[in-house]
Amino acid sequence: MSGRLTRRRARLLAGVVAAVAAIVTLLATGLGRDPSVFASPLVGRTAPNFTLPQLDGPPVTLSKLRGQVVLINFWASWCSQCQVEQAALDQTWQQFQDSGVVVIGVDFEDDTGAARGYVRTAGVTYPVVEDTDSSAALAYGLRGVPETFVVDQSGRIVDHVIGPVGAAALASEINSVLLARAQ
Amino acid sequence: MNAAGTLRRARAGLPGLLAPIALAAGLATLVVVAVSGHPPASQAQQVQQIAAGLHCPICKDLSVADSPAPLAQQMREQIAKQVRAGETAGQIRAGFVAAYGPSVLMSPPRQGVSAVAYYLPWLVLAVGLIAAFTALRRWLRTPQRDPPGAARPQPQLSASQRRAVARAVARLREEEPG
Repeated sequence: MSGRLTRRRARLLAGVVAAVAAIVTLLATGLGRDPSVFASPLVGRTAPNFTLPQLDGPPVTLSKLRGQVVLINFWASWCSQCQVEQAALDQTWQQFQDSGVVVIGVDFEDDTGAARGYVRTAGVTYPVVEDTDSSAALAYGLRGVPETFVVDQSGRIVDHVIGPVGAAALASEINSVLLARAQ
Repeated sequence: MNAAGTLRRARAGLPGLLAPIALAAGLATLVVVAVSGHPPASQAQQVQQIAAGLHCPICKDLSVADSPAPLAQQMREQIAKQVRAGETAGQIRAGFVAAYGPSVLMSPPRQGVSAVAYYLPWLVLAVGLIAAFTALRRWLRTPQRDPPGAARPQPQLSASQRRAVARAVARLREEEPG
């Protein structure tokens, strides 16, 4: 009688411990995650298409660039972090434009005059388009600037970078995409 | 058959007819209310409802409807544009989820790990109720213990048992030294 009672109590205790352990694990998993890191659900999917007016030139349609690697960089003239990465983007454009790589700057929440002024003074050489109604930004799930999306030749997003990008990291990313295509 | 007789019979049958008529009227009212439901929301109300269900991606605990952030403002404009284009609330929400992930929804979806948020409280409540019911039943079945000092009923012994006890006591006294 007493042995049966002890076994029942042990089983009950084991159940309670298992339930508490499951809840603690669930909470620890959530609390251990860095809330500032957002994995874009678009990585691995087809990049949302857009047709946006260029600051100085004809409108740019993303789908027409299929077959090339496209770097879509969301930026603004008022964004100091965007100024940090601008040289790296220009360097990447200069280095890879003859290898089937396109860099597009998408101006976000900005004044056209200020954007044009920045492009001229900073010597931006790659095409810059205006996302006047932020439709492209919202389609790409933008949370701020700068953010960069790498689109492969098939139109699939292969990488998403939040914050300033570096020339070396971009070159490495582009080379791996180009190599994957060649194989 | 005269007219007065017909009128009398009709009057006699009237109370019996009142109940089915009232029942039919009640049912008809319920059907009309159920079919018509709420009056259709205006486009502004639809935008407000959809925006209230979306989490502002750059804010802490603010919906797109409540946030003053420029991004939230653009999201509201985008929702308004899509509502005007005839898209349903589900389609609009799905578009934002595709771009921002399920965290853009103010209420987590009832699928995957998020479903735990909906079902765990009910599970805990059910387990608690079962435990409380079991404990209560066990408590009711357990015989009450007497408080200390209370007079306990003496066990009833038969005459032969009483004699056996007396013999045992006498034997013990005899065996006692001194």
